[in-house]
Amino acid sequence: MMTDDVYREMESVVGEENISREPAILDSYAFQPFHRAEPGSWIHRPAAVVLPGSTGEVQQIVKICHRNKVSYKAHSTGWGAHSGPGKEGVIQIDLRRMDRILEIDEENMYVVVEPYAICAQVQAELMKRGLNLHIIGAGSSTSPLAACTSHMGMGFTGVSMGYSGRSVLGVEWVLPDGELLRLGSLGSGSGWFCGDGPGPSLRGIMRGWAGYDGGLGVFTGVAIKTFHWPGPREPEVEGLLFDTKTEVPDNFKVFLCYFPDYERWADAYYRIGEAEIAYIMSKNPIGAMIWAFTPHLMRKITDMPAIKTALKAAQHGCHVMIAANSPGDLDYQVKTLKRIIEETEGVLIDVKPPFESMLWWSGVRVSAVQAIFRPGGTFFVGLGGDEAVDNTMLQAKFGEKIKQDFIDRGLIYDDLADVMWGGLYEQGLFNHQEEIMIFNARDPRQAKAPEEFAKACARTAVEEHLGGIGFALFGGEKMHDLFSPVTSDYYKWEKKIKETWDPDDLSNQTFR
Amino acid sequence: MASESNAVGIQELIGIVGKDRVSTDRELLLKYGRGGGLVPDGEPVCVVYPRDSEDIQRIVKLANAVGLNLVPRSSSIPGALGGAVPSGEGVIVDLSEMREIIRLDRRNKVALIEPGVTFGQLQAAAAAEGLKVLMPLIPGASGSVLASYLEREPITIPKYHWDMTDPLLCIEVIFGTGDMFRTGGAAGPGTLEEQWASGAAQKNPMGPAHTDFAKLVQGGQGTMGIVTWASVKLELLPRARRLFFIQAEDLGELQGFIYKALRLRLGDEFLVLNNFSLASILRENRERIGAMTRKQSTWTLVFCVAGYEYFPQERIAFQENDIREITRAFGLEMKEEIPGASAETMMRLLDNTAGGTHWKSRYSGGCRDIFFLTTLDRVAAFIEVMNKSLVTADYPMEEMGIYIQPIQHGRACHLEFNLPYDPDDINETEKVNNLLLRASEELLEAGAFFSRPYGPWARMAYARCPDSVEALKKVKGIVDPGGVMNRGKLCFTEEVRT
Amino acid sequence: MTLDDYRLDMMGCSRCSMCKWVPLNQVKSWRYARSCPSISKYNFHAYSGSGKMNVALSLLDGRIELDETVADIAYKCTLCGACDVSCKVYRDDIELCEVIEELRELCVTEGLLIPEHMIMIDSMKKEDNVFGEPKSERGNWAEGLGLKDVNSESADVLFHAGCRFSYDEDLRGKVRGSVRLLLDAGADIGIAGKEESCCGGRAYEVGYRGEMDNYADDVVARVKASGATVLVTPCSDCYSTFKYFYPRAGHELGVEVLHITEYIDRLVKDRRIALSHDVPLHVTYHDPCHLGRRGEPYLGKWEGDKLLRPLSRKRAGRNGIFDQPRDILKAIPGLKLSEMERVREYSWCCGAGGGVLEAHPDLALWSATERIREAGATGAEAIVTACPWCERSFIDAISEMGEEMAVYDLTELVTMSAGIGGE
Repeated sequence: MMTDDVYREMESVVGEENISREPAILDSYAFQPFHRAEPGSWIHRPAAVVLPGSTGEVQQIVKICHRNKVSYKAHSTGWGAHSGPGKEGVIQIDLRRMDRILEIDEENMYVVVEPYAICAQVQAELMKRGLNLHIIGAGSSTSPLAACTSHMGMGFTGVSMGYSGRSVLGVEWVLPDGELLRLGSLGSGSGWFCGDGPGPSLRGIMRGWAGYDGGLGVFTGVAIKTFHWPGPREPEVEGLLFDTKTEVPDNFKVFLCYFPDYERWADAYYRIGEAEIAYIMSKNPIGAMIWAFTPHLMRKITDMPAIKTALKAAQHGCHVMIAANSPGDLDYQVKTLKRIIEETEGVLIDVKPPFESMLWWSGVRVSAVQAIFRPGGTFFVGLGGDEAVDNTMLQAKFGEKIKQDFIDRGLIYDDLADVMWGGLYEQGLFNHQEEIMIFNARDPRQAKAPEEFAKACARTAVEEHLGGIGFALFGGEKMHDLFSPVTSDYYKWEKKIKETWDPDDLSNQTFR
Repeated sequence: MASESNAVGIQELIGIVGKDRVSTDRELLLKYGRGGGLVPDGEPVCVVYPRDSEDIQRIVKLANAVGLNLVPRSSSIPGALGGAVPSGEGVIVDLSEMREIIRLDRRNKVALIEPGVTFGQLQAAAAAEGLKVLMPLIPGASGSVLASYLEREPITIPKYHWDMTDPLLCIEVIFGTGDMFRTGGAAGPGTLEEQWASGAAQKNPMGPAHTDFAKLVQGGQGTMGIVTWASVKLELLPRARRLFFIQAEDLGELQGFIYKALRLRLGDEFLVLNNFSLASILRENRERIGAMTRKQSTWTLVFCVAGYEYFPQERIAFQENDIREITRAFGLEMKEEIPGASAETMMRLLDNTAGGTHWKSRYSGGCRDIFFLTTLDRVAAFIEVMNKSLVTADYPMEEMGIYIQPIQHGRACHLEFNLPYDPDDINETEKVNNLLLRASEELLEAGAFFSRPYGPWARMAYARCPDSVEALKKVKGIVDPGGVMNRGKLCFTEEVRT
Repeated sequence: MTLDDYRLDMMGCSRCSMCKWVPLNQVKSWRYARSCPSISKYNFHAYSGSGKMNVALSLLDGRIELDETVADIAYKCTLCGACDVSCKVYRDDIELCEVIEELRELCVTEGLLIPEHMIMIDSMKKEDNVFGEPKSERGNWAEGLGLKDVNSESADVLFHAGCRFSYDEDLRGKVRGSVRLLLDAGADIGIAGKEESCCGGRAYEVGYRGEMDNYADDVVARVKASGATVLVTPCSDCYSTFKYFYPRAGHELGVEVLHITEYIDRLVKDRRIALSHDVPLHVTYHDPCHLGRRGEPYLGKWEGDKLLRPLSRKRAGRNGIFDQPRDILKAIPGLKLSEMERVREYSWCCGAGGGVLEAHPDLALWSATERIREAGATGAEAIVTACPWCERSFIDAISEMGEEMAVYDLTELVTMSAGIGGE
């Protein structure tokens, strides 16, 4: 446990200004309303918080914890209950002092970052070199290191850049006992360019579809794939979000596409993937969007069934951004998209300024999705994962029914029961879908909704074989009990991994 | 396996698969045990041919019960690098007869295949559906698709190589414990049939959940378990395609072009060969290969541009135009014909498996390969290291093949040196083996990343990453605590200490 | 209002940490992406906008005691409002700065007082200024300028110099120049001289609300007595107090309140000031927090659900004074203006505000240093601003850093271009 001696030992590593056990300081780490099924916003208060400034300091802190059997939990930006202590007596390791971009290799297209360099910073520096990176849907205030090593990894540019978990090259990893493990070529002294081998890839222990969220050591550096950026090196953008004004470059096009039903929508996704077009592709739930952009309006129309039906007609659709490297490329992509929309009896809207400006830059910078917090203060995802397009469409259909029931009971905001935030990955390898529901955690009745919602979603996922466990992971151990027996007993194996590397659960996994 | 228990083990194996699926034929065992001078000859005690996952599961459980060393292999032809040669005694688990294409799904561009499915077999089935198999450079006709993917052999189309696992997606594996596990989307919920009914197609290669066991099995040379089937990515068979060559005397002349084109994800097949490798692919025998080598520029970049379902010709046209602009910027020239090969010839070669003698062995009858991963900007330096080793070993420089395969969209490349030798000449064999060992050490010292450490490379490669060795041993302890899977390979040997 | 009135605001924090960064749309580099001096220096989450709300909620929930750590968190903050701007890009129902203000007031009412602030408040009580300088010397800065004394005569324009310009000898030339400029343009200007008092804004910001109310009454009375139609101040702190805090506390000045940059902008556009002389300088402009995002006028109290509040009623920092100073600079011939990365409502704070200069000078210096580095990165040779507190901070930081950068009040450049000679 955390004793005065342990505290002093850690203090000697980081200096007194970088460690605290003052209740006020600690409670600022205990407020985590997001990404948890249980009602309430206070999680376990950490026993202390420590701010290491280097990999060496992280190692020393972890070794002190290991020696003294003190649990610890590292986070980067610390957004969400999964990044905080899952039990009492945990030391919170806040990595915000490790915020550097260590290297940008322009030719070999990767960037090496520490935990607290956020996506917006990294993107801004990459763009100066004609590069970009995949940013998760939670936005560019997140840590790309966390997305790659520890959390999930879906985002708007999945179609052209893939999923964060598959963008990982070399990794520097402080194991639960404080020893350093460097994955792939990095561990062999050959540089950061590859994260796999020699032989079996230890990335398999590091993470799967999701990561351990700080439950298996501390990641202090990662090389992440970067991708060609055909836009301006230093985009001139005015405005903060809804007022965005910028010149959308000629080689970009922004479209909204709508389809008559799930089936033709799925057809279009398959075809877009096969055609190898599109830079950004994202289904943005129409109800949630209106809530986010104009909550006043949405409040007014929730009891107007006709208007709601009209709006919901746009639920089978997505936002497609095309980025071209040449005029020929642009012509080809636009022409192909038009043909696909025609074949699938869809509607294609060529977005014009000023909305074009906003969609373009907020799509690239991933700066608008956070407005989803606007109506209720938070949201929850109970069903979702990544699989073949047809499967994710089925997820969405079931999700719609589940959500409508919660809306009818007044447990969540009426977002037209339009589901599915998501989009294609790796030019159609799989589709991502997630069942977003907006609620107000400050309303005692709604605060209880996520728990029930998570259960309803999980039951359906199991009974209907909806592909992957995905977001059920946030439901906690009970969810593992439900899913593991019908999903290759994965939890039995994960427990073995945890027991092997961290038998005393010192590296605290919040949702085990 | 102690000799007395061999008989017991064999009897038990017969009990599982039947008498006709276990062989103790001496000739066959000798073939499977041949180490080729780089690894000691193994001592296979029998070869067992399982029919399905259930057989395999029972075999693995038996191995744990009686202490067998199981050496899985998917192809009937021995590999050259000793991955499937038993270290000491071992039971060869030959999966080549499990060769069903369980499912081929055009809509999702995916196939579910057993380990014995060959490139030729899958290619034919895929083509019938308008799909294409992602292949390494001209693989052997009987080569197992699954073995190739499990061993992370590079494919020739870097734009389809997103992650190192590609084109492998989900696997069913029988771990060394005898437990069956399915990875990624295949894990569940639901049986395969139930998943198909819900529109799933085993396309998500990650997980399930927080761990990625496919990544731990891949690259494992059969030390973690036996893969019984896998879903693999297929791509569209182009409606139209053109192939171009760009030749240069100096690799540096090509480097900027390669980086630029791959960054823009232009081109489909995209690879670089030196004159000797190119000649070995184009010609059948030593004399003609020698003559062809002399006719070629030192380096040839081969790439295709393709069009698919939508406006294929227009796609080719704009890509060709864009690439041509890049070539101009770098002072290069795209050609559709080089000495001894037209675009059509080359395309045909790239699209097919190797017929007859493998192209690497055409010059001298045998070939030793050294391959590793690096980045393109460091290739020239490694070639220099290799050339010095050739001089020291008195090996003719002009007879070394070099193959550079960009992977992961061009972020890295597989660099391969091919050293032809006459396997019937003991002196030459020894000489090339010594060259391989010495050069490998020197390349490693210079920073080469031997990500697939077969045979003698295991000791060298793992000596450089003791932290990885310790972690891998822990993984092995979880999935194969009884140590029944392909003993003595990779770092799972006394030789490699943490 | 009390802290408890903001319970839902605090509970509504999603802990997204936007408050730590400039609005994501405007992140232009790794180096200058941060927005909040407090969290940037002290690193513990509690020092961020979100963290301060977490701490305040924890207090309300009875999880922690009001202690010195809470006070440290509450007061190591320049109340610059950058967190509030970034938060409000996404949220309508969180008034982050008001939570911090309430937390400070709670500290004061509960007796958790910061010694340096007590000294300041004492000084204000005794001498009507934040420095404790003799009240009798307040008007000395204007000696010889021939300004009207509004205590005895009426004037169209009441010029309120503010504490810093009244007493900081280093800045004296700047304020005198600005008045000469206005006089030259024909403005009918009066000052209250030694009777001018502190606006009280600083007291309000450090939690002594009653003190501000006292000064507000005083200022309102004097303005009324002066007969002026316009109150012009060269101090951004005073400006924000007059425009926002006074009306919010129910004190109506009854005249138009202009910052001097607004006034000069009018005079330039009305051709009453001719910017005809070249000023061959490469400058960058620093938006003072209290003139920019915190310089918005008060638009009345919103009752009920903040989510239904029209955007025009949301204090999001966008309606501050941003364009006028830039218009003036652009009108000066020969002058080159290069913008810093963090500008307008997402500008980085000079470090002087919110009682930090008095109680935590190291934070003030650090924040100013950060800004000077950012200014230097533009290639400019001078930093221009429109607030004496910012100017003081920058001058001190530059001296500490050993840099060469010049610091100008915007009025100085106008004076040069208008051809009004120095003293």
